[in-house]
Amino acid sequence: MSDNNDDQKPTTTYLIDDNPLVDVAAYLFLEDIADKQGAAGMNTYLMSLATSLAKSMPEEEYSTWDDFLDALKKGESIISSFEVVKTRTENCMITQECPFARGWMEYTKRIGSFSAVHYDVADYYNSNVKPGTINTACIIHQTFRSAAAERIKVAGKTIKYAQIAAVWGDGVKKIAPDEWLPILLNKAKITRTELNMILRNNADIFVLYIE
Amino acid sequence: MLDVALVSLIQDMSEKAGVEGTIQYWARVGDSLAKRMGKEAYMGWPSFNVALREGRTAFSIEGEVTALTDLAITDADGDVVGYIYALKECVFVPTILRIRYSVGEVPKADQAVAEEYNSSIRDTAVCNFCVIHQRFREEVSKNITIGEQPLECSQLAARGFTGDTKIAEDSLRTIGINPEYVRSLLRNYACVYAILMKGARLRGEEVEE
Repeated sequence: MSDNNDDQKPTTTYLIDDNPLVDVAAYLFLEDIADKQGAAGMNTYLMSLATSLAKSMPEEEYSTWDDFLDALKKGESIISSFEVVKTRTENCMITQECPFARGWMEYTKRIGSFSAVHYDVADYYNSNVKPGTINTACIIHQTFRSAAAERIKVAGKTIKYAQIAAVWGDGVKKIAPDEWLPILLNKAKITRTELNMILRNNADIFVLYIE
Repeated sequence: MLDVALVSLIQDMSEKAGVEGTIQYWARVGDSLAKRMGKEAYMGWPSFNVALREGRTAFSIEGEVTALTDLAITDADGDVVGYIYALKECVFVPTILRIRYSVGEVPKADQAVAEEYNSSIRDTAVCNFCVIHQRFREEVSKNITIGEQPLECSQLAARGFTGDTKIAEDSLRTIGINPEYVRSLLRNYACVYAILMKGARLRGEEVEE
């Protein structure tokens, strides 16, 4: 249990703030696509977008899991390119702030309520791909992590990613289905009570592992 | 992250649907953003300029905007009908830096979209993002009134990340500002535009007639 260790503090300095106009425009861009292609088409677009983003980034290889965790904490890995990732255990990863939250906050501040289409597409993803998303941002984020993990090898083995839970800026939570949760918690080496504790003040919890 | 993903989407869209399609998407986003931000009304230019300085106008979403109150635009009768405004940093710069440090290189579609916009619509874009925020400003101006008169926005100059510039000399001539003066503004600002009363009878227009 080390998410607040001093050795994880300096990692925040590498991130560059995005611009509110770009973020809000990006959400509207997605809404425009959804208007024309519906939830299914939009979902395909988001997944393809996230996958191609991950594929455009360099592959990584590490000798040991500790080397990988070190790179992850320093922001040197694809997985931590856009957000600060902390480790709760050697397999349980936590992000305190969602990289999409700033854009959402600017959107709600300057435009109004988040368009329903962002939730409709997430419902489509949850029932047709994998349960675990709250809105369109989660689809991009989780697909990106999954594709990024496939580009990382530790001791010659490709790492695997699974989402445990997400909490959005308004406090809405999405936790992995009950039948999956014990397996995921076991891989993450945390208990259900610890998960609830982590959910109080973090944005995402996921597990990274090799088999 | 959304911004970096979006740039990757633009590359993808431009390859599949052509850069013209991307420009159309961006233009619609500019319209939609302006429309959804709603209407604003001010009693006079001082109250608008104060609102701008305090980040209360729709224009403020772009970042730090300065009203260059020494550069008033006057009409044929000598009345003030607008001002020149300058954006400190291009909205796209943080995204370019984030792409630089995550992916490595800005996709070629960025410049391809800007070039298509320059040749087919107006020669004022230095990157693909100019398409949306120049359109956004034009549309948002229509939603703002000063003394119950609607506004319009005119793009004057922009400086790109690599130092390339675009100066709209025709627009500058119309409002009676020397292009060299605006060029010097680009040393300290990334984007310069005019906001003025819609339909104002400008000096430059009279000279052209």
